[in-house]
Amino acid sequence: MSLVARTRRTRPSLGSLNSSPADPWRNIDWVLMGVSALLAIIGVAAVYSATRPVLVRQGLDPYVFAERQVIFFIVAAAVMALVMALDYRWIAERSNALYAATLLALVLVLIVGAVKSGARLSFDVGPIAIQPAEFAKASLLVVMAWHLSEERTDEVSYPRFVSSLVLVGVPLVLVVLQPDLGGASVFVAAAAGMLLVAGAKIRYIVLISTLGLMTLAAALFAGLVDRYQLGRLEAFLNQNSTESRLQPLVYQVRFAKRAVSSGGVTGKGWLEGPLTNGGYVPLQWSDFVFSAITEQFGMVGGGTVLGLVAIMMLRIWRTAQLSKDDLGTYLCAGVFTMLLWQVFQNIAMTMGIMPVTGLPLPLVSYGGSGAVAWAIMLGLVQSVHMRRLR
Amino acid sequence: MSGDRRSRRLVALGVLSMTLVGLLAVRLWFMQVVDAPAVAEAVEANRTRTVVLLPERGRIFDADGRVLADNERVLAVTVERAVIRRASDRLALFQRLSGPLDMTVDQLEDRFRSRRYDPLLPLPVKEGVNEETVLFLRERVEDYPGVGVQEQWSRDYPYAPLASHVVGYLGAIRESEVDFYLSQGYLLSERVGQFGVEQSFESVLRGTTGWVRYEVDSRGNVLRELERLEPVAGRDLVLTIDLDVQQFAEESLETQLRSRRQIAARNPRTGTGEYAFPDFPPAVPFKAPAGSVVVLDHRDNSVVAMASYPTFDNRWFNSGVSSSRFAEVFPVTEDPDESILVNRAIQGRYNLGSTFKPFVAYAALSTGQLPGGVEYQLVDRGTYRLSDASVDSTQCGVVRCEFRNALCASTNRPCTYGVVNVVDALAVSSDVFFYKIGDEIFTQRGGAPVLQEQVRLFGFGARTGIELPYESPGMVPDAAEKRRLADAGVISRDEGRGYYVGDNIQLAIGQGLLSATPLQLAQGYAAFANGGRIMRPQVVHSILAPGTPDHPTLPGFAHLERATVLERKARPDVQRVVEMGDGVGDAITKGLTRVITGPGVRNLQYHSTTGERLFRNYPYEQLPIAGKTGTAQGLGNQPWNDSSGFAAYSLDPQAPYTVAAYLEKAGYGSRAAAPVVKCIYMALVGRTPLHPVLLSDPLDVTMPWATPPRAMPSTACLAGQFGFATE
Repeated sequence: MSLVARTRRTRPSLGSLNSSPADPWRNIDWVLMGVSALLAIIGVAAVYSATRPVLVRQGLDPYVFAERQVIFFIVAAAVMALVMALDYRWIAERSNALYAATLLALVLVLIVGAVKSGARLSFDVGPIAIQPAEFAKASLLVVMAWHLSEERTDEVSYPRFVSSLVLVGVPLVLVVLQPDLGGASVFVAAAAGMLLVAGAKIRYIVLISTLGLMTLAAALFAGLVDRYQLGRLEAFLNQNSTESRLQPLVYQVRFAKRAVSSGGVTGKGWLEGPLTNGGYVPLQWSDFVFSAITEQFGMVGGGTVLGLVAIMMLRIWRTAQLSKDDLGTYLCAGVFTMLLWQVFQNIAMTMGIMPVTGLPLPLVSYGGSGAVAWAIMLGLVQSVHMRRLR
Repeated sequence: MSGDRRSRRLVALGVLSMTLVGLLAVRLWFMQVVDAPAVAEAVEANRTRTVVLLPERGRIFDADGRVLADNERVLAVTVERAVIRRASDRLALFQRLSGPLDMTVDQLEDRFRSRRYDPLLPLPVKEGVNEETVLFLRERVEDYPGVGVQEQWSRDYPYAPLASHVVGYLGAIRESEVDFYLSQGYLLSERVGQFGVEQSFESVLRGTTGWVRYEVDSRGNVLRELERLEPVAGRDLVLTIDLDVQQFAEESLETQLRSRRQIAARNPRTGTGEYAFPDFPPAVPFKAPAGSVVVLDHRDNSVVAMASYPTFDNRWFNSGVSSSRFAEVFPVTEDPDESILVNRAIQGRYNLGSTFKPFVAYAALSTGQLPGGVEYQLVDRGTYRLSDASVDSTQCGVVRCEFRNALCASTNRPCTYGVVNVVDALAVSSDVFFYKIGDEIFTQRGGAPVLQEQVRLFGFGARTGIELPYESPGMVPDAAEKRRLADAGVISRDEGRGYYVGDNIQLAIGQGLLSATPLQLAQGYAAFANGGRIMRPQVVHSILAPGTPDHPTLPGFAHLERATVLERKARPDVQRVVEMGDGVGDAITKGLTRVITGPGVRNLQYHSTTGERLFRNYPYEQLPIAGKTGTAQGLGNQPWNDSSGFAAYSLDPQAPYTVAAYLEKAGYGSRAAAPVVKCIYMALVGRTPLHPVLLSDPLDVTMPWATPPRAMPSTACLAGQFGFATE
């Protein structure tokens, strides 16, 4: 399969006498685009179904969240078009500024960010809440890819490996402080994926993983990790716990799992999911959106989402292969790993095989910052795809 | 750039990603295909709520259709358990609820902690809430999460306190009955019959519960109704009680008891002129604390009236008063004289005194104990000495050998009635005649319990089987019963060692260890009236299909003509027939008729019968009756502890009533109980005024008693011209 993908250089159907076949605008990956759009549409539907009962009960317009989500995607589409218009290399050349701005935003949110359930995750600007961590994912991706692509050899040298870790480490610490362990894990995943593809020695990665785990263990013992975060792990390890402190977590996962299971093969039907309609799964419109989809559409719906994500990853992976330079490959690899990790972690926690971390399902979960951040990243991938022939 | 190595690494990443996505797919398949059926059940239980719909309880009517027990629809406020599980949430909600419900947070908290409510169902926090409060709560749903309203039924007794002991009342399920009622599908919060017909016909009255299944959200708010099974209302009951007679029986009983308290018994003097009871004043007023009356229709032994005093208003039991207020009205007492929640007509265990003599007479006549039967005569010299066959005369002094008649007021000595046969003996209540029977029926048959067997034929010593709870079987003493009493510690071991002739002599005049209920007494007398048939007394006339309508024009009445009878219960339920042939029944009726009409016997002076002076102004031609007085000696044989009994039956088939009355510590049978019975017969033929039966005023929860005192309209029938009658 990879051979086929690699040898197909042009699309004959797009041939035109008026412009060069290498014109970026004639090389958009429409499959990726279409699949992304489909996921977004499924997301809007799922968000609507999960928020409608809550809104109706409060006597509010049931479409409020769905409408906002549509607006987010319109904004995201515009941002994506903008990113696609720019050469990724041009963007990457501004890495220093990007990195500085990212750190500044992450520091600022710790100081003046709005506090929600004990965490400072966002700036509240009027009706919208901007989460800098989401954008940091995209910018870090660029910075990291740029940094790694400056390596002229085939392998990542030890100094560059260490400097890469520092590069990721600083914003990582800031995100952990928010605290947003889920977001931090995405940073780690993306960095690991990029380092792997860039040719970091396996022993480096083993070393860093070991160090990371030891640091985490030390942090646990030192009590640095918030009780709540620890509780998520405890609740995961004992999913039938009756300890009252863990009850909200235990119930959230239990009902999410029930929602998934009760969907069966074909699901309960659109807007007919009893657990969804009953509001049994907290945050079902964001982190647990997959449970709403599977309850209503069953394995058909869940399988469709997984399939679409798989196609997306395939296309991104293909672009990574097709990229004309290392920078593009690393960018795609970063987006790929990030997507992989975030999808896996999100769906796995919904199905109870990973601990709960506050990670939304890309493009599907409700949220403006996430939608725009993913638009940027997919825009970068498109940019790589579009300019592969240049 | 080295495409190969880069691509190899990319392939590795791709493989990793496909593995992870594959893992998710497998997990998804496992959950949605393999796990799904088991989970579906759990989900169903979690997202639905089943609310039990309680049926409307069957109503209870009197024989004329008066609604004795009715239902009122009331609203109850409930709170979902889920929203008050956490103490802080509960406190916050209870604080908000306390205002609108007019309850303190502590009271609400008590409800929460109470074990009376099913932990799986919403907690009922207040019953009988008015519409405005419900509206208030409904309009502020956001402030009162999980707060709901349930429709419930509340019991009402429109004619309370009439027939309270018979109708009964509802109460919470007692701790000891929890398992039983749960197995019957009851809710722990339900109120069940705890007395009277409400208790004994609980299963008929309750009906069948329905239920409604709602889909609920995670906070317990109802989203929609899924399924509903309507409850089936309980069946209605028509009692045999006629409230006109019932009211008069209650009033006359109470009036007479009150009037007896105004009268004192003289402290008798011994031969030397000293008071027999030196610790007491020359005259001691009767306490007359309690009593009961039973009126039976002796064609089928249906209960026309059953009164027990002291009585109560059965609306107290759902008045919602505090337990301390309740305890003021229904004091917990060690003194059996004072207890209110006892139906003395079926629970009272009394010595019957001379009212028992007709049964002893029957025993003697039917077993050939009296040579010549009804013609047998003896000379009553006022005392009876045990024959040598009964007891060795040297033992006299250790055991009692001499038994005496009651004292005649004129001579202050035991009355001497001279030559008497069984008819005379009944008419003047000659103890000597019955002492002899008690002695010889025992000694001549080697101590066999012949007397016991004969009187047991009339139903003594066994429950009548009336469908009312807590009926006492009473007791006819014999050797086995005495042993049992000794084992139970009621009598001393020494006393319980054997059954002696002295015991049988006591039994022959209705004293000693004999105990019987007024209903048993009435059942026995009814047998003389109806040719010896011992029938189970009935209190329920018929069971009706649910939903008997109210009478269109008569308030307080049901429209019995429109009712559907499911089962007719008031029909003769003959347990056995006591053989009354060979003039035995006639002789007894003749003796009992002379009690009412006279004449007595003449021996040195005229001895009137025990009732003739009382009944002198009784309209005998209008309603001929036969009856017998009885005075049961009480504690220490002190005259003021005498209890008074009287039972009588009508000889007119058009008015087939048997009436028994028993007034505790109220004096001679002829003075206390007999006037009540006489009044009731006069009422039955319209010779004394009756109060109209009216719907009650609402219960006054501030009153100092369980029900206010009542009196009959005219006491003329009580007084008569009885002068002094002896026992």
